[in-house]
Amino acid sequence: MTVPALELRNVSKDYLIKAGGGLIPSYRRHAAVAGVSLTIARNSIVGLVGESGSGKTTTGMMALRLVKPTSGRILVNGVDISQLDHKGLKPVRRQMQVVFQDSYSALDPMMTLAQIVAEPLDIHGVGSPREQTDEALSWLERVGLDRSYGGRYPHELSGGQRQRVAIARALILKPTVLIADEPTSALDVSVKAQIINLLQDLQEEMDLSILFISHDLSVVRSLTDRVVVMYRGQVVEEAETEAIFSDARHPYTRALLDAIPAANPRDRRVRRFLSVEEIEAATPRLARSELPEAAEPSQTPQLVSIGPGHRVAAIVTP
Amino acid sequence: MLLYIIRRLISVALTFFVVSVIIFLMMHSIPGGPFDGNDMPVSEAVRAKLMARLGLDQPLHVQYLNYMWGVLHFDFGVPYQSPGESVIQLLSRAWVPSLVLGGLGVILGAPLGILLGMAAALNRNSIIDYFASTFATLGLTIPVFVISMLLILVFAVWLDWLPASGWGSPDRWILPIAAYAAIPIATYARYTRSAMLDCLNRPFVTVLRAKGLSENRIIFQHVLRNAAIPMVTVFLPMFIGTATGSIFVETMFRVPGLGAYFVSSIEARDYPLEMALVLMVTLMFCLAYFLADIAYAWLNPRIRVGGDH
Repeated sequence: MTVPALELRNVSKDYLIKAGGGLIPSYRRHAAVAGVSLTIARNSIVGLVGESGSGKTTTGMMALRLVKPTSGRILVNGVDISQLDHKGLKPVRRQMQVVFQDSYSALDPMMTLAQIVAEPLDIHGVGSPREQTDEALSWLERVGLDRSYGGRYPHELSGGQRQRVAIARALILKPTVLIADEPTSALDVSVKAQIINLLQDLQEEMDLSILFISHDLSVVRSLTDRVVVMYRGQVVEEAETEAIFSDARHPYTRALLDAIPAANPRDRRVRRFLSVEEIEAATPRLARSELPEAAEPSQTPQLVSIGPGHRVAAIVTP
Repeated sequence: MLLYIIRRLISVALTFFVVSVIIFLMMHSIPGGPFDGNDMPVSEAVRAKLMARLGLDQPLHVQYLNYMWGVLHFDFGVPYQSPGESVIQLLSRAWVPSLVLGGLGVILGAPLGILLGMAAALNRNSIIDYFASTFATLGLTIPVFVISMLLILVFAVWLDWLPASGWGSPDRWILPIAAYAAIPIATYARYTRSAMLDCLNRPFVTVLRAKGLSENRIIFQHVLRNAAIPMVTVFLPMFIGTATGSIFVETMFRVPGLGAYFVSSIEARDYPLEMALVLMVTLMFCLAYFLADIAYAWLNPRIRVGGDH
């Protein structure tokens, strides 16, 4: 079996939250991410979906080691990076890059596009300044911008163009893993499609593995190979993309699918938001004997395998 | 850009004119005249003769036009308090202490304020941050004459480390410089802290971290560079602002500079000197803001290059 490009094993992140005021403040732990495991095979795109606050961005930040996990292991191309310090991480950083949602604040407004795109080369000491600029300009071309854009500033571009610049900057070091945190959420539909196509093309050309964080299920469906659904800091379901759309088992996944707007008004459903209690009550209960793989009975939900590559959080009954 | 500069210069000239009219009227509306003092009484006839010689018996608008005509030829008249020299000679002498003390106050205060602001931003919500914010708020809210008095009380009276007043030996400069530095330290600490925090929270800084750039280089190459625009543009107006501060500081520390002459010229109804001082400060403020705006436009690509943001 080949080594996955990115693997998170049982990763958690706790934050201390001030619970009591006064002279001696008391804190309680809040688990933003609790025991998340996910695997991105080489050359594949995995969608990480969930509502705001579900912990998907924190998961992405931990994968990049911009946030240090409280526990768990992070492996990039088989190398454990969860305990590395700044110096040890530097070579790993070449392997992993990130693209954010807000393309405007993601680019330093004081720098020209050529400087922005060339900067990763400078940080990692690749090539002479002249070669770095040349490389940056050809990357601008590769993401569909003219070379003449090199002298421009971020504020002169549209949102879609800025996102192209952010992608060029992310890929100029030829990383193996790209974390894309809602890269299309701020764009309008036609531009969104262009950026998706660009990501798809580059993924194929560069053998990239992408963790695509999004709440936009229609984009996730067209782009990803697998989908991982997060809810309140935990993975509640994961499967091949088509299996999620055709055979979702967890009530939260179904609620997300119901929220996709339908193009035909006749198909529109009455949308309803499920409360935490409703989702808890509807958590699937599976008998041990039905499961294809062995699992211990439990009172709390656990991720169990229910089919090839399809896992769901369920309560296992004896 | 050229059009903008021309427009701004016209507005500077207009401001200059309006201020000159208002000040001239206000100055003459203060009761009394230059020869009404009780310490050296003059007879009615002598007074009338003096007034006629100085042109003070003419209607106000004629006096104003005469004065401004002189101003356009760089002739600001002769100060009544010191008739042996021209106003320009007196000012060029009085400038030195104000420039040395105020200038050193800003030049030393600004970097200290920047350091304090950086320390606060990089240690957010720590003791350092609270100390810096408290210090900055106090520096901006306590009037400079109270700060001066406190400095004199602590360092000259209680500790007896430094002389309380005067001009001459450099040890006398320390306390007034400290008084002048309060506002630049406080202003820069606040500017730097908020500008850096604003910048540190933006995704491009996160991207830089993800690219493996060290925290020091992130702060010096990117964060400070973005934060520098307001810090550069506020410098010149603040520098000129010490001219107003000098009215209090120089009175408190008995320094023979511009501020001291400001006060004495009003007390003595020394019209030519008073006008010259106000017009000079007005012009410097106008030019300082003008240059600050140009510097802002020049430093900021969003304005320099134009575009839709």
